[in-house]
Parts: sequence; C-alpha cells; structure tokens
Amino acid sequence: MSVDSFSSRGFPAGPVTLAVALVTAVFIALFLAGVGFGSTWMPLETVAHVLLGGGERAERLVVLQLRMPRVAAAALAGGAMAFAGYLLQRITRNELASPGVLGVVDGAALGVVLFMAIFSDEANALMVSVAWQPLAAAIGALAAITLVFILSGRQASSAIRLLLFGIAVAAVAKALTTIFMLVGPIYQASQAARWLAGAVNTINWSEVQLMAAVLTPTAIVAALAARHLPPADLDDVSSRSIGLNLPIYRVFIFFLAALLTAGAVAFAGGVAFIGLIAPHLARLLVGRARAAGILVSSMLGAIMLVGADLLVRVAFAPLEVPAGTVTAVIGAPYFLFLLMRKDKTNG
Amino acid sequence: MDERVASRIEVKNLTLGYGQDLVLDALDLPIPAGQITVLAGPNGCGKSTLLRAIRRLHAPQSGAVLLDGEDIARLKGKALGRRIGLLAQSPSAPLDMTVEELVRLGRYPHQAMLQPWSARDDVAVATAMAGTGVAHMAQRRIGSLSGGQLQRAWIAMVLAQESDVICLDEPVNHLDMAHQLDCLELVTRLNREEGRTIVLVLHDLNLAARYADQLVFVSGGKVRARGAPEVMMRADLIAEVFNVTAEIILDPVHQRPICIPHRRG
Repeated sequence: MSVDSFSSRGFPAGPVTLAVALVTAVFIALFLAGVGFGSTWMPLETVAHVLLGGGERAERLVVLQLRMPRVAAAALAGGAMAFAGYLLQRITRNELASPGVLGVVDGAALGVVLFMAIFSDEANALMVSVAWQPLAAAIGALAAITLVFILSGRQASSAIRLLLFGIAVAAVAKALTTIFMLVGPIYQASQAARWLAGAVNTINWSEVQLMAAVLTPTAIVAALAARHLPPADLDDVSSRSIGLNLPIYRVFIFFLAALLTAGAVAFAGGVAFIGLIAPHLARLLVGRARAAGILVSSMLGAIMLVGADLLVRVAFAPLEVPAGTVTAVIGAPYFLFLLMRKDKTNG
Repeated sequence: MDERVASRIEVKNLTLGYGQDLVLDALDLPIPAGQITVLAGPNGCGKSTLLRAIRRLHAPQSGAVLLDGEDIARLKGKALGRRIGLLAQSPSAPLDMTVEELVRLGRYPHQAMLQPWSARDDVAVATAMAGTGVAHMAQRRIGSLSGGQLQRAWIAMVLAQESDVICLDEPVNHLDMAHQLDCLELVTRLNREEGRTIVLVLHDLNLAARYADQLVFVSGGKVRARGAPEVMMRADLIAEVFNVTAEIILDPVHQRPICIPHRRG
C-alpha cells in the first residue's frame, strides 16, 4: 500500500510538499545555528568546514564534542516526543492528548530519578552503565500508561477519561519524584532537578548513540504501525466493523508512544509540551496526510527543542537554564488555548 | 417469510451478557439470504446487541453465529469485514475528513501490507459513492454535511466494503421523514437490485413492517416471534412484546399493515 492511500486525498499535495520543505529548511538552519552558537560564536563557514572534516583542533573539539551531541540530542528527543504525541492524539482522537498529559513523561522521569537514586555513588557517578537509564525510563513510562489504562477501565476508549486519569497519574508520579529527591541523598538533587526540567547541555556522544539506538527501531516500527491509524480515526464500533482489531491496536500504539517518550526523557529529561504542540501545528500545516503528518510533527518537535536549547544558551548565558523551561513557558498557554477552543475533532 | 430460502446467517443458541446480566438468552435466529430482516423490540431488549454480535463486536458466552455454515469466531477480522458490513448507531469520524476519505476506509478489510490500493478499490469506492448519491460531494468535509448527507456518506463507506451482508443499527434515528424514506429506499434498492442480505434494527414499527421481508420481535434477550409483517402485525402480539394496546390497519398506499398504538399496557 502506498504510504498515504487512505489519508492524503482531499488535502492538496502542493501545500504539503511546501510545508515539508519549509520545515526541513528551518530544521537545518536551526541545527547549524545550534552548533554555531555557544559561549563563543563560531561563524557558520567554520562550522561547515569542521563538519566537512577540516578546521583546527580546538574548533573541532567545540563543534564535534561539545555542541553537536547537544544539538543532536535535542533534535532526537524533540522529534521522539512529537512523534509520540502524534500517535497519542490520533489514537485517542483528541488533540489534547500528549505524553505529558497522559502521565507518560512523569512516569518515565520517576523511573530515571529512582534509577539515579539507587545506582549513584557519593561522587555523583553512576555505578552501573548509563545504558540502563532508558530501560528505567521505559519501565516508568509503561507503568504510568498501564495505570492510566487500568484506571480508565472499560471506558479506556473515552479520551476524556484517559486524559483525566493521565493528569492524575502524572501528578502522583511528580509527587513521588519530589519525595525521592527530598529524601534521597542530597548530592543528587540538584543534578536530577536540572535534568527533570529538560536539559541537554551535558549530553555526550555515547549517550546520543544510545538514544538513537533506542529511538530508531521504535520509530520504524511506529511508522509501519501508523498504517492502521486511519481506520482507528473512526468510532470504536465502525473501526472494528471494517476489520481493525482496535483494542489490541490501541494498546500497541500506546506502548510505542511510551517507548518513544521514554527514549527522549531518559536523556533529555522532562521536556514539556512538545508532544502536545508539535503534532497540533503539523495538522494545521499538512492536514490529515499521515506520512507527512508524522514527518512534520517530528521535525517540528526537533525544531522546538533545538530552538529552545539555543534560546537558553543565547538569552541566559552564562546561566545554564534547562531548555524544558522555555518549552513549558510557550507550551502551557498553548494548552490553555486548546482547552478553551470549542470545536470538536470528531462528530 | 419463505422458509425454503437458504439462511445466510444462523444465530444458534446465542447467550451473551455483561457480568451476571444476560442481554441475549439462548437466542436462535435464521437470517435468510437476499432478504431484509428487521429486528424490532422495546428498549433494552437486546436487538442492537444481537446486531453487533452478528458482526462479532461482542463475544458470546455460549452459542455461535454461523455465516454460510461457518462459525464467525473462526474468521479473521478483515475476512469478516469483507463479508459482513455494519453501520454503527452513532458513527463518528474526524470532522476534517472528506467524504471520499471516509468511503475509502470501507476498503480497509481488502487491504494488506503487500496488497496496494488497486483499480478495483477505486471502482468500489466510486460505485459506492454513486449509489448513495454522494459522488458530487466527495471532497466535502464530514463536518460540513447535513444529517441526511452524512448518513449517506456512512452508508457509502459500508457499501465500499462490498460485503454480501449489511447490518444497519437504527439508521434512520436522527433523520427527518424525507431522509428516513431516502435511507430505507436506498437499502431496499441494494437488496432488490444487488441481492444483498440486509439486517436492520428499526424503532419505528410501521417502517419495519413496510420494509421487512422478515420481521423479528426481540424481547427479554429472546426472539419472541418472527415472520412476514402480515403475520407479525397482530394486536395481541404487539401488546405482548411492546406493552401497548394497538389497532392494526392496512396502509392503503403500500398494502402493508400499520399499527396505531393507543395506550400503554
């Protein structure tokens, strides 16, 4: 089946292509700017020179070892969060759904904080490999979404119920996180607090590789599974009547969204609202087209986190403000705006 | 009803419920091929549940639904989707979905990973839209349609499935009189011209009597009686099933029995 044989019709191909091209251009520009800016500005030609294999030793160090991993991590985490948000908004048929609102972000964060508390020594170093961190995040994320599902019970198909229980589970996870940080050894608290707010400034290449290793296969499976999203757009009875095994498919999509979120949160922390806003903006840009929707959502998510990280470096230097603070400041009013809008998406 | 007509569907000893409450209680019902079967009964009698069980949207506690002699529990989801279509009681789709996108979803059970969208799918979609009169609004968004147009778009979606059996759950509920007739005439045409087996749940007994080949009264999770409308539309039977005292007269236009309820009980 061609990628969009179900969904792209009815929305002109021209604007979709244009939107994809535009978003790609913005992403590349921001990526380069993200590498160029820092405590010292590096001209773009120097950046390009280094990326192509040239440059002095110091320049290479700054670009390749200090800034690139940070920007790459922001792009990966933002993209993954946005993809997760796209999946959740489609499968719940509600534009207010997101990894944050459904408690997945805080669940993953709780998993990581517990992991840090249990496996750190007094020098603030992990006693086990950092490779276990995404697993801890995944366990937290899956526990949160499972809890939301179980609490919603028979009405798990009702988006509003899911959202309400998601918000409740998120609050509980947040409270537990706070408790663990207060009662846990004090030497971890400040590190964990910064990470929780969503910061990519300390990330190195091995962590980026780990992140890519977790996210890439998950994203591929999710992109393939997204083929069945159009029938799932219909109400439960109709989608099951045309042959979709909706109860199982729904659980599978939630599972994939939780894994994508966990992969992002494990390294970039509790970045707020990207999973909510990026898919929504993508829908404004490309309508119902599915492949383009996934692509544009993910790139917008990457743009938002790379941009937020760039902003905190430029605006707040030499303070290292977590990038998640910026996304939260922009995201929260947007969430309120969505809440106040009256229009329904399904009818 | 002619008992010699082969049954397309056999509901056998079907028991189904939520927890302790039985909705269907050892229910038996043959559904003849190429006929219109209408399920009627008081609120909460189990007729919608029965319709959904025929499409395997509810799993039975015991008993079975046989489709051409084969237990539907053994069929794969998409295979069943190609053979039985169902229009939900209050279907919903994203408001920004176009009519054509909706109708194309009817081809979902015909799709597979390695089976791309084909010319046959295009033909089925075009035929379904033409047959329901929505072809000219193919690019309109669902949210911009009137109730009658929306209902026809949904019927087109079910038609695009090209299933021999079509179930419709109270398809005329929210429609005005003109659109009720439109809808049921359309269903009748599908039956008479294309030989499709139709199963309808209808609340309005007079519409039921007018369009049914086989009229089925469901009450208390069982089939209370079934037969041709002429046989079924009896004051004593209606009093027993619907708990109303009614007068039955012959509709002078269609020569079908109609029921004039005059009081409860």
